[in-house]
Amino acid sequence: MASDKILVLTDSNFKETLEKSSTPLVIDFWAEWCGPCKMVAPSVEELAEELKGKIQFAKMDVDSNQQVPMQFAVRSIPTFAVFNKGNLCGKFTGAMAKDQLKKEIFRYLPESAQ
Amino acid sequence: MKEPSPKSLERMRTFVRKYNEKTGTTTHPKAEVTDSVVHGLASHLDELGKPLCPCNFYPDKKTEATSRRWICACDEMKRWKYCHCLLFVRADGLPITEYLPADHEGRQIYGLVTDPTPDKGRESRDLPPSSPPEGEGAEGGH
Repeated sequence: MASDKILVLTDSNFKETLEKSSTPLVIDFWAEWCGPCKMVAPSVEELAEELKGKIQFAKMDVDSNQQVPMQFAVRSIPTFAVFNKGNLCGKFTGAMAKDQLKKEIFRYLPESAQ
Repeated sequence: MKEPSPKSLERMRTFVRKYNEKTGTTTHPKAEVTDSVVHGLASHLDELGKPLCPCNFYPDKKTEATSRRWICACDEMKRWKYCHCLLFVRADGLPITEYLPADHEGRQIYGLVTDPTPDKGRESRDLPPSSPPEGEGAEGGH
């Protein structure tokens, strides 16, 4: 469910990925049999392509990874967590169209990072 | 999650069809959305003995399954006719948000979505929400 523009994160590689990320990082917490996750996936793919080089997108399967979702108090999925310079800037939930998803992500990022 | 058994899949498909009728809702117009959720519910039925909602993260699924709040149809559906999994929705694919508290995430994502069949569903509208599993704070919904 991830393309070459989207990283696959796990409990093991999350910290290192976050620390090494030179751009803002958006994590899509999802699960295989979550309908809204399936609905929003094409929007995530399109944004990852559109914002390539500006924002790094990643996915984490919450059925296979427990620690990171717990650390960031994920409940309903899909949940999107926006990080900038290694820090969590914001978190939001739900299946939404590409434009709304982009707007929500940008809401948590300074203009210089957009 | 494991691929569910044919028996559980059929059981969940029957449940969804009947609950759609009971609540005056329909499944999502995109069949793959419905199919995913039904597979998730059936897989949980096999694994946990209960159709736990597959659209949440649970630190401990077995413990969560001891509470009824996220067993389909979940507390939010029974109280507010809101299904964040998009399994029980209006014909246009939107989940009903009319009865949600104003600060609920469903209202923030979808805005005000009215109920076309207000005479159906919301069987727990007057009941308090289920208690969370033992050991977990009473944080309520999300």
